[in-house]
Amino acid sequence: MAHDGVTPERIEEWFDHNGFVCTGQVSTSLYLAEVLSKPVLLEGPPGVGKTEIAKLWARFHAAELVRLQCYEGLDESRALYEWSYGKQMLYAQLLREKVGELLSGAGDLGSAMTMLRGQADGFFSEDFLLARPLLRAITSREPVVLLVDEVDRSDEEFEAFLLEVLSDYQVSIPEVGTLRAVSTPRVILTSNDTRDLSDALRRRCFFLYIDYPSFEDELRIVEKRVPGASASLAERIVRFAQSVRRAELRKAPGIAEVVDWALALVAVGAESLDRGTLERTLGALLKNREDFETVLADISRHR
Amino acid sequence: MIPALARFVEALRREGIDASPAETVDAARAVEHVGPENRERFRDALRLSLVKRREGLALFERVFDSFFAPPERGHRDRKGERSTTGAGMRSAGRAESGRAVEAPVRPRPAPGARPRRPAEKHALPVARPPDIERSPGAPTRRIGRLREAALAPHGAPSEVSRAGGAAERPEHRDLTRPLPSSEERALAEAVPGLVDELRLRASRRARRARRGRIWARRAFRDNLSRGGVPFVLPRRATRLRRSRVVLLVDVSFSAAGATGFFLWMASAFLALGRRTRVIAFVDRPVDVTSAVDAWIRGRPEPRVMRSAASARVPGAGIRPAGVGFDALLASVTHLNLAAPSDYGRTFHALLRSRMRPAGRDTVLVVLGDARTNRFEPLAWSLDEITRRCRFVVWLVPEPRARWGTGDSALPEYLPFIDTVVEARDLSGLARGLETLLRRV
Repeated sequence: MAHDGVTPERIEEWFDHNGFVCTGQVSTSLYLAEVLSKPVLLEGPPGVGKTEIAKLWARFHAAELVRLQCYEGLDESRALYEWSYGKQMLYAQLLREKVGELLSGAGDLGSAMTMLRGQADGFFSEDFLLARPLLRAITSREPVVLLVDEVDRSDEEFEAFLLEVLSDYQVSIPEVGTLRAVSTPRVILTSNDTRDLSDALRRRCFFLYIDYPSFEDELRIVEKRVPGASASLAERIVRFAQSVRRAELRKAPGIAEVVDWALALVAVGAESLDRGTLERTLGALLKNREDFETVLADISRHR
Repeated sequence: MIPALARFVEALRREGIDASPAETVDAARAVEHVGPENRERFRDALRLSLVKRREGLALFERVFDSFFAPPERGHRDRKGERSTTGAGMRSAGRAESGRAVEAPVRPRPAPGARPRRPAEKHALPVARPPDIERSPGAPTRRIGRLREAALAPHGAPSEVSRAGGAAERPEHRDLTRPLPSSEERALAEAVPGLVDELRLRASRRARRARRGRIWARRAFRDNLSRGGVPFVLPRRATRLRRSRVVLLVDVSFSAAGATGFFLWMASAFLALGRRTRVIAFVDRPVDVTSAVDAWIRGRPEPRVMRSAASARVPGAGIRPAGVGFDALLASVTHLNLAAPSDYGRTFHALLRSRMRPAGRDTVLVVLGDARTNRFEPLAWSLDEITRRCRFVVWLVPEPRARWGTGDSALPEYLPFIDTVVEARDLSGLARGLETLLRRV
């Protein structure tokens, strides 16, 4: 893997230039993952920018981003490969006459079977394989960035399977054989910390916990992403958001929501966070009616 | 560099961060790439490779800071240059010889003192959401399945009086109030017998299945109306459902005794580990699975069991393998046994943490009196938690007549519970356990 010229400082600079406030921990983890060819596991609450890091990492390398979104019940056929039955059937229909001709020379059933056995393997070749994200990432000629998103949502069985793929970067397909990675993909796994991932998976990755940002970092993010917001408004927004996160809510707002809210406030021309403005715009920050009411009932605490 | 790193990993292990040899190799390779010049990068590289859980992060920082002394305290080397990690090496040398590292890493509680509350004591705001009725249309989806009697706070069911009359029998001894440890010890003698009885009953219970062995006894009964001609051939199978179980247990002063006995009995049937988690709480949930497992097996982890029993915690007589339940509780960090119990905050914190039950096949057991000290019950949190569960049992270590009285928030939690069991004595706990075993 070529990692010439990649340094933590360069990563930070590039991310910063592309609108992402990159901490030293993020840049060091990406740098080490690059030079040591290991996956990175990013864990943290929703909305702190884990997926965004993967997207930017792909752009940094000008590589394709292959995304595998995990969910409960995800299995190999959805993640790795599937046989295209439709295509196989279509080809079988179209080639029926040809097969008939081929077999016309066969004297008995046994020889027909032998002849057929030599031909039928063609239907189970890579032409009829539907590559799902994992296989695509492995067989791609150019190294891709493989994002295994929200791996905590998948089942333990799938986690074990993933472990196997990630340890050797190779996949065995019974009908075709073993497919080895042409170029090792850069792998980023994200987890929202809703389920405890296995030790085995954690051990194979560099682990980075990304929490909600500090006041200063979040202020930098808002200033960068919402240039229209005045310095005092940006400060008020961030102070409010940080206070709201400490309240007992169903869903604490992530960075993306704070940025959306700041954009909304700029759009309505707000300069202060009075009750009327909050009632109109808080929907961008809080995505739950109960949370909305809880925060509105005690505005003074957060302002 | 390598010997210092190995010693650092050793120090981490002593404090409970189990870094594997493979991870140590990763750390060495990572450090090679970032170099020791930039202290923060050096720290990041070690953290990324050696700590794989959020819980270990704070501990890592403390061990790192005391192991690799900051540059200000570092000595000048021969060339007169400051060396960040050079100081660390010397610090590491000291660590090897004695207590230099251990002492500042995790302050041990003074004898007899309560386990010190860490900084997050103040992390959650004290003020709570003002409105008590968080979810106006509180769903009553489970209420139909709930025995109505459970809701009657002033009922005087027969079981209560029966238990009172048979107070001499250990399994009916009231656990509502904490017992002296001598009485606990006497009660503990009844536990193996109860476990055996439960095991026998569980083994007798056969499940009807589509496939499996032919169930001869049932076939006779089912075909009696057909003159004994076997039109129907029932089959039986020992079906092993692999449910996950989450035991959410109150370990506050009033409920610790019942909890200790229950965990002891339950561990005879459920292998504590990934599929069965034990979460203890007073005012916040703490995963104690491995500590309870060690307690049951009599293999106390030195780290976990090092602090002495606190005098105020009941459970000294509950010793499945030589260690009292009180010692177990007193040794668990983050568990503030002196706090007033707070169910609302516990459920809310559980909902927000990754300990919460996840997966469709989870059976949740709550053991506690739901006395939430007038704190907000936050019943919607329990609702959200139980939506992810297949079955929810609540064991109440209180006589039914007292349910819902005073500061008990039980009526608010009941809509989200499938079965409530009165578990004020050992036989009640056994009944609750049997209910659970029928569902896993």
